[in-house]
Amino acid sequence: MSTSTLSRPRPENLRTSGSRTRSNLSGWGFAAPFLVFFLVFLVWPILYGFYMSLTGKSLTGANDSLIGFANYAEALADADMWRSLGNTLYFTVISTVPLVLVALVMAALLNIGLPAQWLWRLSYFAPYLLASTVVSLFFTWMYNPQLGLINEFLTGIGLPRVAWLNDPNVAMWAIVIATLWWTVGFNFLLYLAAMQNIPAQHYEAASLDGAGAWRQFFSITLPQLTPTTVMIVLLQILASLKIFDQVYQMTAGGPGGSTRPVVQYIFETGFTGYRLGYSAAISYIFFGLIVVISVMQFVITRRRSA
Amino acid sequence: MATPTLTRPAPRATTANGLKIRQPRKKLTVGRIAAIAVAAFIAVLWLIPFAWATATAFKTETDAAAPDVTWLPPSGFTPEAFVKVFQDGNIPLWTWNSLYTSAAITAITLVISALVAYALSRIDFKGKKVLMTVIIASIIIPPPVLIIPLFYQMLALNLIDTSWAIILPQVIHPAMVFVLKKFFDQIPRELEEAAVMDGASRLRIFTQIILPLSRPILAAVAIFVFIGAWNNFLWPFIATNDGNLLTLPVGLQTIKSAYGIQYAQNMASALLAALPLIVVFLFFQRQIIKGVATTGLAGT
Amino acid sequence: MTGSALLGGGLLAAGLTGCGGAAQAAAVQDIGFWHLLSGGDGIKMQAMINAANQANPGFKVHPTVLAWGPPYYTKLAMASAGGRPPEVAIMHASRVPGYAPGGLIEPWDLDLLAENGVSASDFAPRIWEKSQHNGKVFSIALDSHPFVMFYNTDIAGKAGLLAGNGQLQEVSSPDEFKAMALEMQKVTKAHGLSFGYLGSGSQMWRLFYTLYKQHGVDMELTPGQPMKVDREAAIESLEFMASLFDDTIAAQAGDISTGIAEFARGGSGMLFSGVWELPTMKKAGIPVDAATIPTLYGTPASYADSHSFVLPRQLKLNEDKRRDVYKFVTDVLKGSLSWAEAGHIPGYQPVVQSQAYRELTPQIHYANAADIIAYDPESWFSGSGSDWQTYFAENVQNVLLGRDKAAAGWDAFEQRTNTLLSRPNPV
Repeated sequence: MSTSTLSRPRPENLRTSGSRTRSNLSGWGFAAPFLVFFLVFLVWPILYGFYMSLTGKSLTGANDSLIGFANYAEALADADMWRSLGNTLYFTVISTVPLVLVALVMAALLNIGLPAQWLWRLSYFAPYLLASTVVSLFFTWMYNPQLGLINEFLTGIGLPRVAWLNDPNVAMWAIVIATLWWTVGFNFLLYLAAMQNIPAQHYEAASLDGAGAWRQFFSITLPQLTPTTVMIVLLQILASLKIFDQVYQMTAGGPGGSTRPVVQYIFETGFTGYRLGYSAAISYIFFGLIVVISVMQFVITRRRSA
Repeated sequence: MATPTLTRPAPRATTANGLKIRQPRKKLTVGRIAAIAVAAFIAVLWLIPFAWATATAFKTETDAAAPDVTWLPPSGFTPEAFVKVFQDGNIPLWTWNSLYTSAAITAITLVISALVAYALSRIDFKGKKVLMTVIIASIIIPPPVLIIPLFYQMLALNLIDTSWAIILPQVIHPAMVFVLKKFFDQIPRELEEAAVMDGASRLRIFTQIILPLSRPILAAVAIFVFIGAWNNFLWPFIATNDGNLLTLPVGLQTIKSAYGIQYAQNMASALLAALPLIVVFLFFQRQIIKGVATTGLAGT
Repeated sequence: MTGSALLGGGLLAAGLTGCGGAAQAAAVQDIGFWHLLSGGDGIKMQAMINAANQANPGFKVHPTVLAWGPPYYTKLAMASAGGRPPEVAIMHASRVPGYAPGGLIEPWDLDLLAENGVSASDFAPRIWEKSQHNGKVFSIALDSHPFVMFYNTDIAGKAGLLAGNGQLQEVSSPDEFKAMALEMQKVTKAHGLSFGYLGSGSQMWRLFYTLYKQHGVDMELTPGQPMKVDREAAIESLEFMASLFDDTIAAQAGDISTGIAEFARGGSGMLFSGVWELPTMKKAGIPVDAATIPTLYGTPASYADSHSFVLPRQLKLNEDKRRDVYKFVTDVLKGSLSWAEAGHIPGYQPVVQSQAYRELTPQIHYANAADIIAYDPESWFSGSGSDWQTYFAENVQNVLLGRDKAAAGWDAFEQRTNTLLSRPNPV
């Protein structure tokens, strides 16, 4: 996708080598401000982070020496790291599904052409504009075992109270529900935009064939949305893998480590436990996992579109 | 506001066919009624957290913590919690911190991204392909992976607990460079060629021809970057500890300990923190939705 | 402030010098002060800060309150490493070994303290000793706050358990203690003892370590070596704890606040708790007295920690502010009678020896704890609100709930600790 610009005819091509140099100069000149930031705050940390992972660097400055891959060896044998990685993956799986499906349902409902479109959009999308901390405050309060609205509703209809954030079997689901409420609006907008881009002719033809709305959805809308769906799923997986905020704010990883995601483990080993080098190593293991997942996604999408 | 149609992912989205003029399905069929009912049900579910927070924020602390969970408190509604939160004085400070850091991040991002995107789109220079590839590849780097080295870097630069520590690492948005480049690619070259003949410099062409034509995409990128920066928690949380520098999301995290279990005050603070973007959204709904839809698929 | 300077041009110059705002040479110095005290403690602390601010027009102390435990200590370490931390902060004395060796906190200058009228002789020996690390004084103890036993004199009286002086009879063995609790249970018809622990490693640890130390044994954590511990004593302590939670002596499962609430409404005769719950009990209006935890294994011992003042490392030390900090801290020490009202035993002896303190009950009934207090074993990872206490909960909670053998829970915790000890020491 990156090559399209190169094939076009350019006036510069006909000019002399002097203007060639000038092109080089102005090209890099335009790129320079971005490049400076890019190199200093992205490339350098990535490289330096790898170097750190090979040292015993500590927050207090002690233990600076190179220790080879000892941090990696330790991490691979660290049950807490695996547990937190497992939690992250678990969250990614159980959050991605509803975050895509509910978004699709929301968009499909609106796409029927409901009145007062702005109202629906506002209510579905507004939570996306909130900071994670606001969402966590809202939901911690609603999940409150004694005073929370949700348990009040449950007891009202004769169901038992749930300990939500305090029950290791439920806490992750509670996080997923809060996350669904918070971010589904984003996927919803992407779906809605894609649906409204499906040319009307498709539907007109189907209408003439007597296909009802239901069948039109499955035979036209869904297939037309496939590329969008693939992109949304990919983005959602990458977003879910980064889970930290809500968990840190609502359960702090508890109860008993049952919701602690790997980013929190990185944070804790590095800052609470001082071990920046070790924590950098865990970051790289996590990064490796993300690269693998991204490559897998890339291969799958390539195959689909080919 | 009046016509909140969802405009298509600019810019290449074709002509004006078929966006709202789809089939005349305006009849109130059973299906449509069911759809409205489901949509309304979801909307109510989605509004409940706001409503419950609002109801709580306007209760007295005693009512908020009363074992009888109720929407209508026995002592009536009162703005007491909001008054207390304002007296405490942190929310305005945090809002200001969020505002200027997010504005700085957005401004720097726009400038440096548009410049490099222009070079990638228009200028033929040595190493361009490599640069493009590197920028695209960097899209997959998740920010949380960088927290440890970035923190260490900020330590080394003595920037921890300064606004710069919040701002500087947040201005690199490779995906936005890509979005801008794609937009620039579609601006007809003829527009520039006349200027080139007149001997206009690259920078002049960029500022006087390209940028004015790119307002919608610049707005879209600005919105996306601003919302992201405004709501970012992890990095500002790491980069600052000083109470005077906290941004809204980070500051809000500290109130639980400061107020203890003051439910009404917690909810009042949360609502006040939510307010600015929600208000902005009410006024610029169309632009924001369009902006998010345009930039969203490019990745975050 | 900083923000407007930033936006209004002059970007680099203003920003790189960081926060600080406009320099105020002669004006009031702003002193940043972090602490982790919430609830009643937080209110008392705020009152002491206000008093100090009022008495000293030259400076103004601005407190920042962060969540107790790992969030607080993580942020304090990050801020100190960053070099722009608050001028002064509260730290549990047990956490100093994690901060002093790496240079995250700076030693106190005894001469400056003396100038402000405070010296070593003003502290109980055990507490002064704890304030030192490698021969330097890194923390100035505001208090010691032992883990004690509150009891309801009404219930104890009805159960016939009060001695001649109106205080609870002494017991000296686990069985005697349980018998006493059962007597109280007969009065309350609910439980004899309240102790909530679910989900709180700190709370489990406080009782455990009290009982463990009563065996007259030590615990040592030396990086690079396995933990030195008396396994038998540890297991015996855990088994005794588990035997209390039989739903008769004490509720089998409950968290800290449940335990406190139960005792506060007269649902039990005794409560194991930190002294800081005293105001809650007074407010509840029950007839409450207190004592150190009975010596059940021969050696008097009482788990405790101290809220101490520390000086986080400053990138650029402002000598004037540092002097103000000494004044502030010593002022607070001298005014710590109000801190004693919140239940804590003041670290500053002139207050403890004052007539006013002697008249505080039940504080005076456990003031002897200052001589038998046991701080956490020292290491970079132990102490109040540390992850180590969380690990304790992870391994021991099931023992207390009766789902796991004491030996199994203890061995798992010991192994977890040994893993920590085998890892490189980061300080």
